[in-house]
Amino acid sequence: MNGSEIFGAWVAVFLTLGIFSYLYKDNPFYKIAEHVFVGVSAGYWMTMAFWTQVQPNLFGRLWPIPEGEISGFLMKAWYGIYNIFGFVLPSVFPDGGIDKGHGHDPHFLYLLPFALGIMMLLSVSSKLSWLARLGIAYTVGMAAGLRAYAFLNSNVLGQIKGSAVSFVDMPWFSLTGVSVFNNLIILVGTITGLLYFYFSKEHSGHFGKVTRVGIYFLMISFGASFGFAVMGRISLLIGRFTDLITYGTSTYSYASIWVLLIMIVLLVVWTIKGEKKTVS
Amino acid sequence: MEKFLDFIVRAGSLDRRYIFIVIALVVILPLFFPLGLPIRPTSSSQDVYNTVEKLEAGDKALVSFEYGPSTKPEIHPMAVALLRHLFQKDVKVYITCLWPDGQFMAMEALEQVADNQYNKVYGEDYVLLGYRPGAEAIIKGLVSNIRKVYTVDSRGDFLDDIPMMVDVNQVADFDFLFSASAGYPGTVEWVQYAADPVGITMSTGTTSIQVNEVMPYVQSGQIQGILGGMPGAAEYESLIGQAGIGTSGMDAQSVAHLVIVGFIIFGNISFFVERRRSKKY
Amino acid sequence: MFMKRQLPIAIAATIGFLTLFGWFVDEPHIKSFVDDDATQWFDILASFAMFLGALNLLKMQAIKVIRKQKGWPYAALAILGFTFSFTAGFILLGSYNVEISQYDDPAKVATVLASEINLDEKSAENILIAMPEGDTYIIDTPYFTKSGADNVVEQINAAGGTANMRATEWGSHISTRGSLFNWMFRFIFTPLSATMFALLAFFVASASYRAFKIRNFEATLLLISGIIIMLGRVPIGGHISAWFILYIVVLALSAGVNTWFKNRTYTLASVVGGVLLVTIAGFIMGWPVDQPAIFYLPVLQDWIYNNPNVAGARAIMIGIGLGIFATSIRYILGIEKSYIGE
Repeated sequence: MNGSEIFGAWVAVFLTLGIFSYLYKDNPFYKIAEHVFVGVSAGYWMTMAFWTQVQPNLFGRLWPIPEGEISGFLMKAWYGIYNIFGFVLPSVFPDGGIDKGHGHDPHFLYLLPFALGIMMLLSVSSKLSWLARLGIAYTVGMAAGLRAYAFLNSNVLGQIKGSAVSFVDMPWFSLTGVSVFNNLIILVGTITGLLYFYFSKEHSGHFGKVTRVGIYFLMISFGASFGFAVMGRISLLIGRFTDLITYGTSTYSYASIWVLLIMIVLLVVWTIKGEKKTVS
Repeated sequence: MEKFLDFIVRAGSLDRRYIFIVIALVVILPLFFPLGLPIRPTSSSQDVYNTVEKLEAGDKALVSFEYGPSTKPEIHPMAVALLRHLFQKDVKVYITCLWPDGQFMAMEALEQVADNQYNKVYGEDYVLLGYRPGAEAIIKGLVSNIRKVYTVDSRGDFLDDIPMMVDVNQVADFDFLFSASAGYPGTVEWVQYAADPVGITMSTGTTSIQVNEVMPYVQSGQIQGILGGMPGAAEYESLIGQAGIGTSGMDAQSVAHLVIVGFIIFGNISFFVERRRSKKY
Repeated sequence: MFMKRQLPIAIAATIGFLTLFGWFVDEPHIKSFVDDDATQWFDILASFAMFLGALNLLKMQAIKVIRKQKGWPYAALAILGFTFSFTAGFILLGSYNVEISQYDDPAKVATVLASEINLDEKSAENILIAMPEGDTYIIDTPYFTKSGADNVVEQINAAGGTANMRATEWGSHISTRGSLFNWMFRFIFTPLSATMFALLAFFVASASYRAFKIRNFEATLLLISGIIIMLGRVPIGGHISAWFILYIVVLALSAGVNTWFKNRTYTLASVVGGVLLVTIAGFIMGWPVDQPAIFYLPVLQDWIYNNPNVAGARAIMIGIGLGIFATSIRYILGIEKSYIGE
């Protein structure tokens, strides 16, 4: 175990217990951990987006490593711009070009998303914020086109297909496998559940009775979702406690124990000081 | 009797910090003092196991890692257990990642299972293609032509230089697809853009919260079985006969669930007593 | 005006149509654009949206600090956190590898290597000897500073080996174990994000106790379904006898009888009768834990999970699918204009 790992463990324990300290009440440790999280995660996602997307797929296509000598005024000017960028940010723009497997010729078409992206960034300024609409419009159109088909095919048609089952050669009832009763339950539940979401007609009379059955099936489903949500959260908590236990061993100089003790003492002092202030 | 009912009503509005302490103790203590409760696999975990059991030596499995450290306790154990099962059967494993963190998780799992346990050879028994950003675009790309999406693997080696990539050009060339998923992009996208259009046999493991979202695909046969969260991981570990992190967390999970159910019941008893009293007066 | 209103709608409509019909059209240029370029542009723009989010965050925190508003020291901490991760991502690589390609005397080089890889000298020597001809051995953990790596290279060269320093490539550093960015990911980002999620476990427990009340039949169904899933899916559920559940069912039915008939005699009769019936049945069957199967929690849980639960989840999924399809068509046809602020 090297020094950076042990130091890292102490930092991790401090931040973990800082977040957990919110369970007592909102306190400076929690605020520190929360604000560090906000800053670090913004930087983290920005870095990831840049190095996994923008640098290889955008800049890598605009300025790939050329094959042989650069010829022609346009290309020389184009790579001249690249060299200027490279002078300012050598880590992002290495010498010669960016080799990410996109061939050797620049894809000038990618200037469009570059321009749209820059326009998006300009929305920080209130005067130019309307420019971001163009980039947003592109993403909205793209997502709409992709999802319209995918959701209709898999979520609607696929599910309707799954609901249409044969009752031939099947037992009437089975707790563990397929059966006529089970398939009927699924069919009735799906149809009545769907009818519940039909709000163009008032839920009264016979239709109201049918939608009542639908809501019962939906409630069973929500109950199951609640059960799974509890399960998931407890699993994550187990994961955190397992890490804290690991960091509380001698390998990490009993980080968890020391940080916990120090935090408890400081929180008690902070609470007492706060109460004294309220009294006075 | 009245005093007892008074106590119940007062306990119903207990300071939530006492509840927090109880939950913390209930989760920590079984980690130190395991109960060793036996694990009973559910039908959905059994379906995943049976699907993998049908694979033969030399078959090709595409495993996709789309989870990160925040959901690692739930999904990493099932990913490790699946890799153990696949390597036990000498299935060739191809790993892709739709989440950037997924690549870290895959590297950890492979180091534990492929390198340290089964002594598998990189490039011949398993390959880590790595993370590519793009979500559905990557899945669609893999469905049409893997080499459009991956020119090199995660180590920077060209795909054509990797022995096990010979004759592997698209998703249809695989025999099995598994998505270890914690959200978007994940299981749903694999079903919509790969499993449904191509017809490849697919199973999945998801966080507990996502299980209900994915269940209809499982019931309709679009996905063969599902491993749900840490309990699903523990069930799979018991099926392959190798206990892991999933199993060790199950005692804490069991006791915590029992306590929460107890809280719900007690809270409702208090609610009924209070309601009866207010009706009386 | 055209640029601000009509052009964005035209872009959304054109790209939307192209992507939607790209699923059905077999023309190679359109397919290539839709499958490759269009989706790549989408991801690039999503990345720029990420940059915009970070910039906005910095702007707001900076305003707080400059105007010394309430909580400004914490805002300064947020900016510091951002600066640290930006530095780890773009400025300080923190990942320099030492590669050993040759050695004259493995024992001499092993004396240097042993301390770097935390092994004894004999094990380090064995590692060097096992190195195939022409291969290089790379010390597992990269060095944080260039000078640290250079120092080790000098020592190995002085001990008769041939070593050189290789900096991790920018871009690969985000996924290389040992880099500063990776350190930040493992010891700052991961604990924080995991703990934020795990914190909810406590609030779920608190909510279950204080807010989860049976006020009507629907809430009862939700609660019972939740309890059965929670207990049935964990090992402890297998240890709760089906007979225990049967007794609870008898009590619940008796409560129903009491609510319906409001007659103490009927209630007492249903309780006593039910309990007697269950006890006699239990004695006859020998009190097996998992019979009758329908009252055994794992089996009951499985049935609920695979049948009524799927029905409800499927209804929601179909509803969402139809909703998304309808909304997507509205965006493509330009009927929905919320993304331009209308």
